[in-house]
Amino acid sequence: MAKIIVVTSGKGGVGKTTSAAAIATGLALRGNKTVVIDFDVGLRNLDLIMGCERRVVYDLVNVIQGEAGLNQALIRDKRSENLHILPASQTRDKDALTLEGVETVLASLSEEFDYIICDSPAGIERGAQLALYFADEAIVVTNPEVSSVRDSDRILGLLSSKSRRAEQNRDPIKEHLLVTRYNPNRVDDGDMLNLEDICEILAINLIGLIPESEAVLRSSNQGVPVIHDDKSDAGQAYADTVSRLMGEDVPLRFQHVPKRGLLARMFGGGSRR
Amino acid sequence: MSLNRDPAESAFTFKGGMLPMTVMELTSGDPERIRAQLAGKVSQAPAFFQHTPVVLSVEQIDEPHLALERICAVCRGHKLLPVAVRGGPDPVKQSAWALGLGWFPPQEARPRGIETSAVEKPTEAPAEVDAEPPMVSTSAPIGGRIYRGTVRSGQQISAPDGDLIVIGAVNPGAEMLAGGSIHVYGPLRGRALAGIHGDRDAGIFCHDLHAELLSVAGTYKRMEDIDPRMMGSAVQVQLMEDQLKISALA
Repeated sequence: MAKIIVVTSGKGGVGKTTSAAAIATGLALRGNKTVVIDFDVGLRNLDLIMGCERRVVYDLVNVIQGEAGLNQALIRDKRSENLHILPASQTRDKDALTLEGVETVLASLSEEFDYIICDSPAGIERGAQLALYFADEAIVVTNPEVSSVRDSDRILGLLSSKSRRAEQNRDPIKEHLLVTRYNPNRVDDGDMLNLEDICEILAINLIGLIPESEAVLRSSNQGVPVIHDDKSDAGQAYADTVSRLMGEDVPLRFQHVPKRGLLARMFGGGSRR
Repeated sequence: MSLNRDPAESAFTFKGGMLPMTVMELTSGDPERIRAQLAGKVSQAPAFFQHTPVVLSVEQIDEPHLALERICAVCRGHKLLPVAVRGGPDPVKQSAWALGLGWFPPQEARPRGIETSAVEKPTEAPAEVDAEPPMVSTSAPIGGRIYRGTVRSGQQISAPDGDLIVIGAVNPGAEMLAGGSIHVYGPLRGRALAGIHGDRDAGIFCHDLHAELLSVAGTYKRMEDIDPRMMGSAVQVQLMEDQLKISALA
């Protein structure tokens, strides 16, 4: 039985797809058979981030509507043989998804894989609700700003009321907070919410802190999930996140402004911004 | 004097209780008319008619004799369980007892407690077994609700018939509604509306005030109107002279 993890946020543009791609890749690199599903029907992005856009033939909607088999639609990742991608359709919309269809797809994937990562669309409507409905765990991606925190709070409400686990009165979805685009300099300047405030309002377990990093945009445009860039701070932070997801105890990094050495202070260099 | 000195030996204990009870205020003693009206009600609210205990109030009927047995049969036929009769002349009292029903004196004859709220629900507490009549509280805990956990943005928690107690945080964008008072044991960052049916004695109590909106019986204050010095402290909110008064919880 696979563990189904939804990556969600409510608000758009906070890094759901980047995080889903990085975490799925990280899990696969550690030897877990992993599939990442793009639920953003109509606004397909995951294939770009994963760098497999030129190999898409069939998609999730084709499978749900019986026009293609699951194995025809699954794309194997170039870099990790444990990782598969199930892309979304770009020509359809979220109404093409059905609860039964999603259930069937997840059930068959569940037999073959260890982890199923669902990349949720933004919003709280049908697409987002279908992406989270069958989840066992949820990674709530939040930026250090008030609107993102409020939208994450809203999604947490849906996770505890509109999921299959909630409706069947089973153990609730295990919720994890992933704070992305964190810039300790701007937190110190008071431009951004600090981590403690975010954690206090959302009141769920923190699974990772991803610093704002040039590496993220670069890797998105190259179609290589940022976790492959193990020299970058963001890549390392995602690797830590994956470790925690697999139950390891890893200390939190990148929370504070790095102390600058004597030379850096004398010559004014060394800023990562 | 105690009725039950040793609880280990006693088979039962007498306890005073305030139970919500529906009063069926009869304006006609005609079983057929009652039957016709009940049939209509059942189709409107079938969930209500689940062997619901009712008190038949006959105070408004000016007849020395009532077809009480037939009225009860009609009620039972519609899954209402008459448990007692209120008011009526002596023959009605006698026939109630004969039918195994309790009898309450008419409402006027009983001592009125503190003025009850403007919109009285169709519930009435039965007489007490205890000799001591309990204090009538202005917002009874009956029908109240305790919520444990964080109330999140977009969630609405309501206790329309009583007090709402939240053990946890109420986040921005969340809404609390209560017919009675609202108590929040945690930060109150969302909206709190107490006394939604007009109970002016309801209040809002919280440990850590950051509310977006506070309202008691329709009188409200927005976050902007709240004295910033009260923000972040433990407060009580009460309606006084048509104004919301926010004061520190001593």
